[in-house]
Amino acid sequence: MSDLFAFNGAEGAGWSQPLPSLGVDESWSTVPEPLRRASPPGWPRASEPELVRHYTWLSRRNFGIDTGFYPLGSCTMKHNPRLNERIVQLPGIDRIHPLQPEHQIQGLLAIFFEMQEMLAICSGMDEVTLQPVAGAQGEFTAMRCIQEYHRSIGQDHRDKVIVPDSAHGTNPASAAMCGYDIIEIPSAADGRIDLAALKEAVGDDTAAMMITNPSTLGVFEPDISRAAEMVHTAGGQMYYDGANFNAILGKTDPGRMGFDAVHYNLHKTFSQPHGGGGPGSGPIGVKSHLAAFLPSPIANRRERVEDDPIGVGDGYWYVWKEVGESSIGKVQQWHGNSAAVVRAWAFYRRYGRELERMSEHAVLNANYLRHRIMNPDSDTAARMHAMPLDGAPAEVVKHEFTLSMSALKDAVGVTGRDVAKRLLDYGVMAPTLYFPMIVPECLMIEPTETESKEVMDRFAADFHTILGEDPEIVTTAPHSTDVRRVDEVWAARNLVLRHPGPE
Amino acid sequence: MDQLPNLGREQEMLTEMGMSSLDELFSDIPEDIRRDTPLPLRGPQSEEEIWADAQRLLGANVSLDDRPSFLAAGLARNFVPTMVGMLATRGEFLTSYTPYQPEVSQGMLQAMWEFQTMVSELVGLPVANVSMYDASTAAAEAITCAVRVHRRKSSQNNVVYVSMFVPPQRLEVIRNYTQGSGLEIRILEHLEDGHIDMDSAAEAAGCCAVYVEQPSAFGILDPGLMNLKEIIGEETALIVGVDVVSLGIVAPPGEWGADIVVGEGQPFGIGPTAGGPIYGIFACGERYTRQMPGRIVGLTSDVDGKRAFTLTLSTREQHIRRHRATSNICSNETLIALMGAMHMALLGPRGIERLALRVASATEATKRMVTSIDGIELVDPQAYNFREFAVKLPGQASDALAYLDTNGVLGGFDLGVWWDGMSNCLLIGADERTSESDIEALAAGLSSWLEEADS
Repeated sequence: MSDLFAFNGAEGAGWSQPLPSLGVDESWSTVPEPLRRASPPGWPRASEPELVRHYTWLSRRNFGIDTGFYPLGSCTMKHNPRLNERIVQLPGIDRIHPLQPEHQIQGLLAIFFEMQEMLAICSGMDEVTLQPVAGAQGEFTAMRCIQEYHRSIGQDHRDKVIVPDSAHGTNPASAAMCGYDIIEIPSAADGRIDLAALKEAVGDDTAAMMITNPSTLGVFEPDISRAAEMVHTAGGQMYYDGANFNAILGKTDPGRMGFDAVHYNLHKTFSQPHGGGGPGSGPIGVKSHLAAFLPSPIANRRERVEDDPIGVGDGYWYVWKEVGESSIGKVQQWHGNSAAVVRAWAFYRRYGRELERMSEHAVLNANYLRHRIMNPDSDTAARMHAMPLDGAPAEVVKHEFTLSMSALKDAVGVTGRDVAKRLLDYGVMAPTLYFPMIVPECLMIEPTETESKEVMDRFAADFHTILGEDPEIVTTAPHSTDVRRVDEVWAARNLVLRHPGPE
Repeated sequence: MDQLPNLGREQEMLTEMGMSSLDELFSDIPEDIRRDTPLPLRGPQSEEEIWADAQRLLGANVSLDDRPSFLAAGLARNFVPTMVGMLATRGEFLTSYTPYQPEVSQGMLQAMWEFQTMVSELVGLPVANVSMYDASTAAAEAITCAVRVHRRKSSQNNVVYVSMFVPPQRLEVIRNYTQGSGLEIRILEHLEDGHIDMDSAAEAAGCCAVYVEQPSAFGILDPGLMNLKEIIGEETALIVGVDVVSLGIVAPPGEWGADIVVGEGQPFGIGPTAGGPIYGIFACGERYTRQMPGRIVGLTSDVDGKRAFTLTLSTREQHIRRHRATSNICSNETLIALMGAMHMALLGPRGIERLALRVASATEATKRMVTSIDGIELVDPQAYNFREFAVKLPGQASDALAYLDTNGVLGGFDLGVWWDGMSNCLLIGADERTSESDIEALAAGLSSWLEEADS
């Protein structure tokens, strides 16, 4: 065990600071006396060699895409190309201040502009801002734009937002943060939108409907245009949760489906790494009637004229465009997660117009893995206690699919959670567990396009093995991980949220 | 296309599924909404081509390291120890996600628990989360958190006071995040000298929360803030925004009454990065724990009694509580917070003090040299400053900055962009990398700008 606070070495061993080069004493006189700190923070005293070993030890106790298959549904855990990490180390992004004048950041503005254009094209939207820094913040930003749009046309009374019961939790949470009331509508028996329930829910108080398509079940909503029409007829706006965008690039887009606003998860579809839970990047795109409400600024360009400096050499001069008085104002203080945008740009450049191939392979892989899991050979099937059940009865799925473990639970008492934990013993990450809530004992599986057929064959085989294993082994799994099943209840009751500090 | 391991094996896989073409996989998309033409985008590039384009485009930017720079305005031109980037980009950290499965995520969980501890020690409050998006969203969500705790008992239960010296972009973020709960944001006044107006503070007594910054947007350290909690009372949350580096020498707000402390974590761990990804810190007293936004790691044990870590209090969060969640935050800035943790650990208690002293003395040295120029005056001559200070110029700050720029100096920030009536004021920021020659270049540039303006 390595404990950061056990390091108690030489004073200031850790920081190699250059000698003072300024002609003033480094003294405490710059702090008014009552405000001076009495004792330093209880941080470790550690040297670089000790810390390198500590963090290397920690890293080896952590599972990432680089470690193995990471089929975490809804999170699109695809490979993170290493070139992108090299690019963001360049001083032209790492050592840039967002308030530098335009002529000092022409390259950054050019990349922003290219990304705005590309995202607008891929989604069928008119204007894009890259400012929101996560999917949830994108949702919040777009719902604020819709709110101000309604206020601008005298529709302030529209205070309800409709979400399906299969929606990501961020949808209702983001709308509620804007001050909206949430109407949750049940899904139909096949997991798709229940148009009758939607008809009941829409009305003169409808501000918007928030929905993802393909749905969280991984199924394309064939009635999406009808739903959009119903919401629009009632005077509401359609919001597209782009969490599942990886499934449809080049095949269709939210604009065609009738949406007014959309967020993109650059950390999913465009591979920005988000170790441990972030950073993300959640740009939004909107139709022209919402563009006047976006946060400022947005990258823009004009033809280079004679006196302009050379810029990036493409014949354009890049500028920040202020949205104007009706803008909702900022949602992050600067221009968003710029380095995430740069990584996503590098990812996009690999595919260009072939982004469609990416979606094809994401969908191919999901269907292939689903097929392998649902069609064991007869010997394998005979060894299993129960077959998984399809979360949604669809011919084809898109980029992900759901399985219900309820038959297994009924047969031998092994839950979805048990199967998820047992998968860890087989060297893979568990799928998303118990979401969407409408599927009992749900496992949500998303292989992404960057997994090989062999990895998926192996996963299906291991999955089948687990479903035939001694229930005692599965319900007490995992067995071979750094720690075994963790007592989450104790953690929540006792709330030990920090180290007691150095001895 | 080198990212697709199954390229060329599509048919084999389709055949196994009883299908004949990739189109069948998309047959569920109604024809009237299908795209039937290729995306009108450029062609694919090789890794080598992308690298060349990235170098060309980003090479057209002027980096803060290319010239003397005095632009801070809430971010730091820091030096990040090499170890940080190298370790944080280890694949096991870099390519993980939210540790929903603690059994295979102990490394990140422990690192975040250690991060929480170091933030807690730094600001003097017992609880810290694993990061917010940035200082501004941290401030905004601190306010909504405080309102949830105090709304019932406060006498001005719809009101929050925010210091007039909060940068306007941050105030915009705060307004966006608070408008939904129908709060009224009132402005807490400061005196001419930059210090807090105690009369205005007295009016804030009994509201839900007061948000101030120490140092202020002008870099002012105001000892008067230490009396604020007593004035506003127990049922009003005192929220303090900090410069994290300053806390190496400035008393932690938790020791002078702050209930919640937020701030920009960026000086620890990552360069200014054109504004993101960076991370906000969020720490609070125990009274706020169950209402706080964001992820939190707790200590526990596994079934064998072995020490273990896990995400905890997730019943506050959107994936469980949906529209009743304390926040919509899901993806956060953990990877950057990890970099911050590594940087803090390397600094240690002595290193953070020396770093803060270095920044403070660089600020002082710059201030002295700049104000020795005839015609340039401090906006707040009596104030103590950390990292930043504001000066009044005899002309427009934008003109001065343009002149300095042509002389190869990034001279600071034009305060007229933030506040009407301050277009003759320049915000100058110093840091641990500010050298004597940088300051001389700034002073020489300002002097010759003044001379040219005179002649």
